[in-house]
Amino acid sequence: MAAALGGWIQGDESAKEMLGRVLTERPFLLLPPLHRVPLRVGNVVEIVGPAHSAKTDILMQAAISCILPKHWNGVHYGGLEHLVMFFDLDCRFDILRLSQSLKHQIMEANGSRTNVSQEQHGVDVSNYNSKEPHIKYDKELFAACMRRFFHVRCYDSLEFLATLKTLHYQLQKERERQGVGVHFLMIDSIGAFHWIDRASTSLPLGVDNRKILSLQSVSETVVQEIRKLLMVHPMLVLVTKAANLVDKYSTNEAKMTSRKWSSQNALDLKTIRSGSQKLSYHEYMPSVWQSFVTHRILVRASDDSQHQNHPIYLSEWLLPSLSLLDKFIVRDVRTQIWCSIHGKNIVSNKSSFGIFY
Amino acid sequence: MAPLRSLERDYPIIDSNFQQFCASHGIFSAAHDKGNENCELWAGTQILSPQSIVEDLLIHDLYVLVALAEQHSTSERLKQGITQALSIIDGQHQPWLNGMELLEDAQQNKHVLSTGCESIDTLLQGGLHEGHLTELVGPSSSGKTQICLQAASNVAKKYMGGVAFFDTGNSFSPKRIAHFISQSSGPADKEANHKILQKLMSNISCHSVFDFFTLLDVLHQLKSNLRFQTGGQLRLLIIDSISSLITPILGGRGSHGRALMISAGFLLKKLAHEHNLCVLVTNHMVGGEGGITKPALGESWKSIPHVRLRLSRDHGGNICEMSIIRHPYMASGKAARFMIS
Repeated sequence: MAAALGGWIQGDESAKEMLGRVLTERPFLLLPPLHRVPLRVGNVVEIVGPAHSAKTDILMQAAISCILPKHWNGVHYGGLEHLVMFFDLDCRFDILRLSQSLKHQIMEANGSRTNVSQEQHGVDVSNYNSKEPHIKYDKELFAACMRRFFHVRCYDSLEFLATLKTLHYQLQKERERQGVGVHFLMIDSIGAFHWIDRASTSLPLGVDNRKILSLQSVSETVVQEIRKLLMVHPMLVLVTKAANLVDKYSTNEAKMTSRKWSSQNALDLKTIRSGSQKLSYHEYMPSVWQSFVTHRILVRASDDSQHQNHPIYLSEWLLPSLSLLDKFIVRDVRTQIWCSIHGKNIVSNKSSFGIFY
Repeated sequence: MAPLRSLERDYPIIDSNFQQFCASHGIFSAAHDKGNENCELWAGTQILSPQSIVEDLLIHDLYVLVALAEQHSTSERLKQGITQALSIIDGQHQPWLNGMELLEDAQQNKHVLSTGCESIDTLLQGGLHEGHLTELVGPSSSGKTQICLQAASNVAKKYMGGVAFFDTGNSFSPKRIAHFISQSSGPADKEANHKILQKLMSNISCHSVFDFFTLLDVLHQLKSNLRFQTGGQLRLLIIDSISSLITPILGGRGSHGRALMISAGFLLKKLAHEHNLCVLVTNHMVGGEGGITKPALGESWKSIPHVRLRLSRDHGGNICEMSIIRHPYMASGKAARFMIS
């Protein structure tokens, strides 16, 4: 196995490369709602939630923080200056969203700089029209960042597997070309072909030892390929997964009343139910994928609350299990999208429930 | 093993020795039935394209295969075969593009088409986007078909673009189209107007589609037509309503209906992206639990469209409301009111 790998990799890494790799193995500081847990390369983070719960927005935000540089022409951007590989399995990615969001962040960082330098140099601020909507953004920086973002569409599982199987060469090629490696591998969304793969069957050939293409074998191969890639390309894997929510307590309650439990218990249950909105989701990925995931965060839109006409989203870490709920909104200010943490988090003990104001 | 053998002609390294080696490890590279999407690959052709043959290799660990090959007497040649197979696999996926390349494609090829309704265009920052699959969801007589007809008229008139209208319930109305087209033209002489009208009407082709499998046939036909059409005049593809074609196949708990629905969704998104089309579909509402109406295409469908717009109409009134449920780069919740004229 080791010899086989060696044959494919063609030689070991140099000391410089190794140092670079080791240095990247520090935890990333990601933006909300991914900020609660230190994430490192090699981790596989699953962002799970129902449709329309801002899962892709979270990926976009992380992608921007990865492709932005830390500093550029004396301006602090606080990025990682590395590459992002984005697998678009939903085939719904729109580049305009990334570019607008990126422009917005570049302008924001520059805007703060402009103000500071004006104060320092005593420029006549009265001439400075602060309401100017088109602050110039650095086009060169913008292009450099955009070239660090890579996107591929996959229209079925076979295309996905073909892309994964040849990703190693793609990563090597881009690392040589750009001088920096990949930090984030993104998959949006992992269950996109679930129904198709479930229904697909290989034509039988009457041969016993043939591995059949199925939901199971696709997942096994996906995990196997990513695992091998992570050995030579240290990356953080960020994956979205669409899943329907199941209300745990309401189903429990139905069961309990049918069994005619004591009124005392029924009362307890009600209290829990009315106080807590703890929801679980319907898991459908094969266990080989589930055990591959190291971190899991559940996101969903809150039922009723809105903030300035924007829906409020809730996020909750399931793996590791943190008993706190974060709120965030996705805003488009002149079609710019950014995530921000909003509202106070109330920490509660595990058996109880979280309330937020 | 016929498929692998047909590769031998194009790739001599994939010889009978290599094929035997693969077969001894359970790799036969036969075709598999993957729904209608790939059927055209098989239909009527004896020789399979190399793109479809390496499927068995895709679910195998090639590293393990290399290790196995090394124990062979012809290991060098076998490894060359695996490398060759890998390069075939590399041609089997869509290309990796960086952000600047994507942006260039979006700016040059993906335009925004006005719907002909001012307040809707304002809400959607110009109208319907080429490359997007846009869904209108709403109860009956909330304006879904009217928007489809108006958009069809406007694309034919303003952009001289082709429109394909897939009609599932005889909702297509040439009268309405003529009404929308003539609405904004001046009081020029009738004769000239009539000629223009005829020309514009001929840009809109209506196809009656009454079941899902006919829809797939028509879409595949369209796909191959578009491939050979260099001018590329078709700009808007409308399916009114897609839900009435899909709901009959969804019955029961089985997964096959959903698999077909999702494949159709991917086919539409592929058409939209590769041929720079606007795809506009409608989804009707049905009665759900507790008398609350819900979209006919529910949870599993939600992952398909780029843009989801909800329509509603005041009871008995003429004012309709459209609100954004999902959009790639606009916040949801925004709404616009408009009148059906």
